[in-house]
Amino acid sequence: MAYFQARRDFLKVVTTGASATVLIPGSLGALGNVALKGEDKFIRSICEMCSSRCPMEARVINGKTVLLQGNAFAKEMGTSLCARGVAGASQLYDTQRLVVPLIRAGKRGENKWREASWDEALSLISTKLSALKERYGARSVLFSAKTGEQYDLLRSFASAFGSPNVFSHWSSCPIAIESAFEHTFGEKLHRDFENATYILNFGHNLFEGLDIPLTKAMAHFSANPSKKLVVLDPRFSVIASKANEWHPIKAGSDLAFVLALLHVWIRDGKYDKKFIEQYTIGFDKLVDSVKETTPQWQQSLTGIDAKVVERIAAEIYEAAPRCIIDWGHKATTTKAEYQRTRAILMANILMGNVEKEGGIYFAKTAERINTLAKEMIVPELNDPYPRPRIHEPRMDGAGEGGKHRFVSRSHGVLTAIPEAILSQTPYEIKGWFLTRHNPLITVAHPQKMKEAMDQLEFIVVNDIYLSDTAMMADVVLPESTYLERDEGISKSAFKTPSYAMRNRIVEPMHQNRSLIEIIRDLAERMGFGSHYAWKNIPELRAYQAKGNAELLQTLLMRGVASFDVPPLLALQSSSVESFCERYPKSSGWRDSQGLFSHFLNHLKTPSGKIEMYCDEVERAFSGYGVPRAVDMDVTQGFAYVLTSGKSAVHTNGHTQNVPYLHMLLSDNPIWMNPLTAKAHGLKQGDTFYLQNDISKEKATVFITEGIRPDTLFAYMGFGRDTPQLKRTHGKGTNASKLLSLESATLCGAMITNVGVNIIKA
Amino acid sequence: MEKQYRLLYDENLCIGCQACNVACRVENSVPDDVYRLQVHLQTKGEFPNLGMNFERLSCMMCENPPCVSVCPTNASFQSKDGLVHIDERACITCKYCILACPYHARFINPLKNVVEKCDFCYETRVSKELSPACVSICPTDALSFGDMRQKNSFVHQKSNKEVLVFPKAHLGTKPKVAFIPNRKGAKS
Repeated sequence: MAYFQARRDFLKVVTTGASATVLIPGSLGALGNVALKGEDKFIRSICEMCSSRCPMEARVINGKTVLLQGNAFAKEMGTSLCARGVAGASQLYDTQRLVVPLIRAGKRGENKWREASWDEALSLISTKLSALKERYGARSVLFSAKTGEQYDLLRSFASAFGSPNVFSHWSSCPIAIESAFEHTFGEKLHRDFENATYILNFGHNLFEGLDIPLTKAMAHFSANPSKKLVVLDPRFSVIASKANEWHPIKAGSDLAFVLALLHVWIRDGKYDKKFIEQYTIGFDKLVDSVKETTPQWQQSLTGIDAKVVERIAAEIYEAAPRCIIDWGHKATTTKAEYQRTRAILMANILMGNVEKEGGIYFAKTAERINTLAKEMIVPELNDPYPRPRIHEPRMDGAGEGGKHRFVSRSHGVLTAIPEAILSQTPYEIKGWFLTRHNPLITVAHPQKMKEAMDQLEFIVVNDIYLSDTAMMADVVLPESTYLERDEGISKSAFKTPSYAMRNRIVEPMHQNRSLIEIIRDLAERMGFGSHYAWKNIPELRAYQAKGNAELLQTLLMRGVASFDVPPLLALQSSSVESFCERYPKSSGWRDSQGLFSHFLNHLKTPSGKIEMYCDEVERAFSGYGVPRAVDMDVTQGFAYVLTSGKSAVHTNGHTQNVPYLHMLLSDNPIWMNPLTAKAHGLKQGDTFYLQNDISKEKATVFITEGIRPDTLFAYMGFGRDTPQLKRTHGKGTNASKLLSLESATLCGAMITNVGVNIIKA
Repeated sequence: MEKQYRLLYDENLCIGCQACNVACRVENSVPDDVYRLQVHLQTKGEFPNLGMNFERLSCMMCENPPCVSVCPTNASFQSKDGLVHIDERACITCKYCILACPYHARFINPLKNVVEKCDFCYETRVSKELSPACVSICPTDALSFGDMRQKNSFVHQKSNKEVLVFPKAHLGTKPKVAFIPNRKGAKS
């Protein structure tokens, strides 16, 4: 575990480099030397080593070395890029990545393949998918992708095909946050880290789960002696080490801590009464629900002293509105995840930090800026991926009825898939098309998922590597990496709107194709090519940009386009003033105090206001209309809680086999407190078992003071079964194998904290 | 001396993410499993009273470099800008310099069988007025680089504002790499 050990590796000499390599069929290594065409100049594009989509630039030197760095045309980036981003070239040249389509030759999952031409592979896919549609209906095929352009594209293809069953990775990641925001504000807000003076962080791991602009802002915040960062996390993470205070909170008890904060502020009348009155509904219901949630009450649940809650509540109120109670990114800690996140949003609302400097704010999209300015300031885009609504019930009921009625119909509940396939309820599921999605690593209970996949008639996986999930496929499509692809325009909106575009840095190493090319070809073969208004990527871009050549030129040359719009916060008078000066017509929106207050009274919620209480939610899930102390237990009677998270050098289940990154972190021994290790007779590096009702998994121990004695921790993405990932195969533990398929109430989030026992090997 | 280079490492801003480490590998084609540059993270103390230290390990570009004086073939030499370089053609891999370096910054490149170390990316970047790859890539601006003779440079201004630590200063090596100590690190 080189990454976390103080070890001098400079003198270590490679001894294993010369060992014989067995060539993987269809891999880059099997092709021998491949010449690389590129230009000795910077090309600006978008990174894809994780999902943060940071703007970057690349240069090919001598037709070989690909240098990557941040795209300084995006001011918030500078030339910065993270280890994963810089290692993009290592993925590009990895001899183990796929470059030829593979068709299953043995039994499903048996790992026997034959190489196929693109024509054969795509022809087989179109024939099989059409046959499934004919026999069982289009709804019998599932489609899943990670979010981003790939997802928009696949969702559109599924819609043209006729299936309502599209899944993103949301339910295995940020869905609780998305739901809580939707019900409270009608949409998700952003955090103004740059201007805050106090941040309360519930394990939001920005120094190990990197997003350059956010991470950079947080690093400058935490290094600034005049600001205060408080981190609550069962583990002493890197961000915890940079905090003014770290409180090792009991896993899963964030909700209790926040309810106690709310209690204190309401008890003492220390909250922004004017803001609550003017912009929110349902405050009285919150007052009722936090009557008993005193600092004393939370003490036994969180392990944090009541006096600490009182002090932190006072400090935050003192700093308000320049304070952020940070909801994190992926925070699927307990069954009460939705309540936890809603409670955090309530804390921000009570501090009146919405649309204020140093607080939280609505995304200023092109459409929003143009409406407020009452003129066309920022070009708007066409949607190149149409998706007419499919009038068929979803297999998981998402967005329709039952326990998943509040889950987005566009994102679905991944943990509902295995049971639906195995029981063929509510109807027959026979096929699955996955792109860059690896549920056998990233979703709970992969053993059951694998069993379900085994029942399917046809599986297509599009990926760079022969992942664990790809092992189960009938056809594996070798996608070009992001350095070899052109894509459409992607939107980003923070205090101002901007666009970015992925531009090809080098020609594909072999005949790899992008998903856009694959889907467009399949649509044609399956008889719905007319679904798309474009035939190729130049046409797609032109259509999306509405023929705006200047915008496209900028995106080709600079990779990003911004529009010199002054940063806008609707309740910050100085900000509104500069906006109105620049765009005089917008003055009509100003209220008597010089603010854009109408903006906060016309939200996308049922009442148009910020909803502290959600009537619709309460009617469907009694007790869930306001944040309340429910469902916080994560141990389920077991002695320990296993938690998981990211490292700065890997992305979920994707990068573990990338050579340069594998070199930095090649395994995930389980973090354990010395007292716990001693109690079980374990010494550094010993093997043991993690056991619960779901599974018994082998692990090795990493003994560290940096974790609570009742908690264990694993970096995500290890414990790979596929022999084709030669570097990672057989190393580490896949914590997903211990997770239950039961999802968090209301939002459908996978629960990633789980009770386990420690069994000595 | 024509230049007076300094590389500043602010431990307060460093998050140990290894972006510098990978950027160095790519820029200088450093072979697998050896490193010109690493950042080590170390947690110290007893739960829950903990601190984390961040330590950047690389060549310190000493003004009085012990590696140069021990080199029998003048393969290790100091340029007119005061930077320490290795002439690969003259290196006989005797390892004297490896033993002499108090910062353990040198290693043998297993592909070339010569001694190697950080050279501030002199040829590819610094000689072209660019920052070393690690400085340019750092996600949190923890590294800064420049010529201390230029009073308006960021590195000069930051050096004047902060308390600097020069690693193993007692040895009289006079490193060109200076650390700004972590205010939230482990209590020793």
